[in-house]
Amino acid sequence: MKIGIVNNGLGNVGSVHSAFEFYKYDVILANNPKDLDASDVIVLAGVGNFKTAAAKLRQLQFWNKLGEEVIVKKKPLLGICLGMQLFADVSFEGGENKGLGWIKGRVVKIEGDLVKVPHIGWDEVKPMDEILFKGMRYNSFYFMHSYHFIPEDKSVIKAVTQYGDLEIVSAVRKDNIVGVQFHPEKSQGDGLRLLRNFLEMSK
Amino acid sequence: MTYKRIIPIFLLKGNRLVKGTRFGDFVDVGDPLSQAMIYDAQGADEIIIVDIDASGNKRLINTDIINAMIHKCRLPISAGGGIKTIEDARKCFGAGADKIIINTSAALNPSLIKHLADEFGSQSVVVSVDVKKSRTGNYDVYIYSGRQKAALDIMEHISRVIDYGAGEVIVTSIDKEGTLTGFDYEIYNKLKNITKVPLIASGGAGKYDDMVKLFKETDCDACAVGKMLFLRDYDIVKFKSYLKGRKIPVRDA
Repeated sequence: MKIGIVNNGLGNVGSVHSAFEFYKYDVILANNPKDLDASDVIVLAGVGNFKTAAAKLRQLQFWNKLGEEVIVKKKPLLGICLGMQLFADVSFEGGENKGLGWIKGRVVKIEGDLVKVPHIGWDEVKPMDEILFKGMRYNSFYFMHSYHFIPEDKSVIKAVTQYGDLEIVSAVRKDNIVGVQFHPEKSQGDGLRLLRNFLEMSK
Repeated sequence: MTYKRIIPIFLLKGNRLVKGTRFGDFVDVGDPLSQAMIYDAQGADEIIIVDIDASGNKRLINTDIINAMIHKCRLPISAGGGIKTIEDARKCFGAGADKIIINTSAALNPSLIKHLADEFGSQSVVVSVDVKKSRTGNYDVYIYSGRQKAALDIMEHISRVIDYGAGEVIVTSIDKEGTLTGFDYEIYNKLKNITKVPLIASGGAGKYDDMVKLFKETDCDACAVGKMLFLRDYDIVKFKSYLKGRKIPVRDA
């Protein structure tokens, strides 16, 4: 199985790359959209600003290519952090910006009386998907984000995390599309296991 | 509830790690990569690595070291030392840093923080502030690894960088650093009302109860630990088991 990682220049694909290499998988760092042709599964990872990321994906022609590979060809996709937020219809980070629109919903700023923003650190994840979270030891994962995804259809929600008085959607899944708000590539043992679970689901 | 984080702090001099007392008297404490792998295996929640000579020597931290660490470790790494521009930051992120740490340049050129936050997002921009208590009891801000006093009011400085988009603040007490005599709890309590972002305490951790006190009496989200790990008989597993026994929420690993 070949894993295509979208290299959108927004940093941090290095960690994702090395985490998949841990399992001896073939990884393609896709600098060009056509590099994704040879991939069996796709990973869209990233931190940073939604507006900047969406603009870069469009500019590098990844936007339509992802639609072709994921929606038309039904290749399994894992979105990490901002990668998951890009599935939404719209995000309010840096103004009102259109997302890929694959999972209906919006991305809004974390707000609450009891919370610090950004949400940074390790937090407990309440899993609602037995396959994605199979074999976890502690279910704690590393988060770093200021915005969060609110899907319209609650049945896509596959994990939640309580942050102060706010419940954050920490994983979503719809057909061949999986997204996590946390960073599995930075979450030691359980993080590696989640990546493996995603690949096993994708076989 | 977000767990309280225990963060080994690595001070880089050349390609080696050092540890000192009050920002001086450094001794060698090992190779950054092998130390990072040790603390990752022990379940550290994050690692901070800072090149303490970079700003003074007008150069950037060696990003090859960051890159080697991210290939061997599965935990978040914050890196700093000599970051003065968006391009410097991009090099660090490109090497795999999860967050960048800005100290001297945040004091000399606060608007840099705004540009960095716009480009990379607040969650990846950490401002580090080194402070020393003056004879009158006020806290002064120091730059260039404690070598130069900055003409800044600490409260104004920290409020400004947070307004500009700093996503986390780490405050190091120069008086306490490397002394193993406990944190400067006073400064963290003073900062409580102005830090709407996570606050990391650094300087002075010497025994388990220092961390218990920090997390019980202040609003800090994390603590940085140096000498206790490098030059005393402690490890992350022992820290966490003690803190858990004192009802401090720490992550199992």
